[in-house]
Amino acid sequence: MADSGGWRPPRPCETYRAEWEFCRSARHFLHHYYVHGKRPACEQWLRDLASCRDWEERRTAEAQRSLCESEQARVQAARKHTLVWALRQSPPADWHLPLPQEKDK
Amino acid sequence: MARAGDGRGPCSAAGEQPLNQQQQQQQGTSQVYPERLAEGRPQQGLFSRFLTHNQKCQLMLLKTLETNPYVKLLLDAMKHSGCAVNKERHFSCEDCNGNVSGGFDASSSQIVLCQNNICNQAHMNRVVTHELIHAFDHCRAHVNWFTNVRHLACSEVRAANLSGECSLVNEIFRLHFGLKRHHQTCVRDRAILSILAVRNISKEVAEKAVDEVFESCFNDHEPFGRIPHNQTYARYAHRDFQNRDRYYSNI
Repeated sequence: MADSGGWRPPRPCETYRAEWEFCRSARHFLHHYYVHGKRPACEQWLRDLASCRDWEERRTAEAQRSLCESEQARVQAARKHTLVWALRQSPPADWHLPLPQEKDK
Repeated sequence: MARAGDGRGPCSAAGEQPLNQQQQQQQGTSQVYPERLAEGRPQQGLFSRFLTHNQKCQLMLLKTLETNPYVKLLLDAMKHSGCAVNKERHFSCEDCNGNVSGGFDASSSQIVLCQNNICNQAHMNRVVTHELIHAFDHCRAHVNWFTNVRHLACSEVRAANLSGECSLVNEIFRLHFGLKRHHQTCVRDRAILSILAVRNISKEVAEKAVDEVFESCFNDHEPFGRIPHNQTYARYAHRDFQNRDRYYSNI
């Protein structure tokens, strides 16, 4: 987390609002049920929106802490499963090489 | 890596064939993509009747690359990972055997689009998205495409999950009716079909591989960050990807 002097919310407040409204939509409810078999949980987006607006208006440490914790929890949730494969340190060496039949021309 | 077709013949309107009637026992890449191993490319003058399929494929591909939000996010993500995509180098429109729609050839780093089996723009969008997910996996990870069926299974699960091909609407069109958690059933089934299209293995081996990797790979949503059910989700995902520098420097 960056120092308070240079810190700003990870997402624009408008994004938190859009995510909350999208999460609450009937269409998203249908998609979420289709995937997970249960209703989506949208409350955290609303809490994040409130924290973001609080930061914009009053620059409180509580707002910064709340947003950081919330987003770190999202990142952790996305990374909790062990990957099947090993990640590369650099892209494949032959990605940009000419096709084999073009090299022979 | 190959995307199993929807069971229809070349650009026909027939419904999907049941699993036990599908011609999925391909003998390997060479029989699915016969042009891949031919010596040199066929002279265009001798195969003039294929130019129409090829031209249509090229035009639809161009539109997909320029306008589809799933594809635009994948292209950005691959460029960020050091695998910038060049249309002429990394895509090839070819005739394919069977009802396969396309595939990713890791040995040449090229996406094959089956011009005789992709008949409309929406289908092209899904095929390109599906194959770009394989290409993205190839770019960011050590995927043993030919020697590790679990790696292949993982990429097929991700491609079926994130390409939109298992959306509720697409499943209804295939006459597969289900709602609660049906998306996961579709992803599993289509991943198995795709594996069987490119590997000469039994259905039981393919099913076992998919089941072993499913939980990990179904929940790996890179580079989307979410399951993009339609273009709205894909646009939100692209917005988040473009915001990633601000995001990761402030959490």
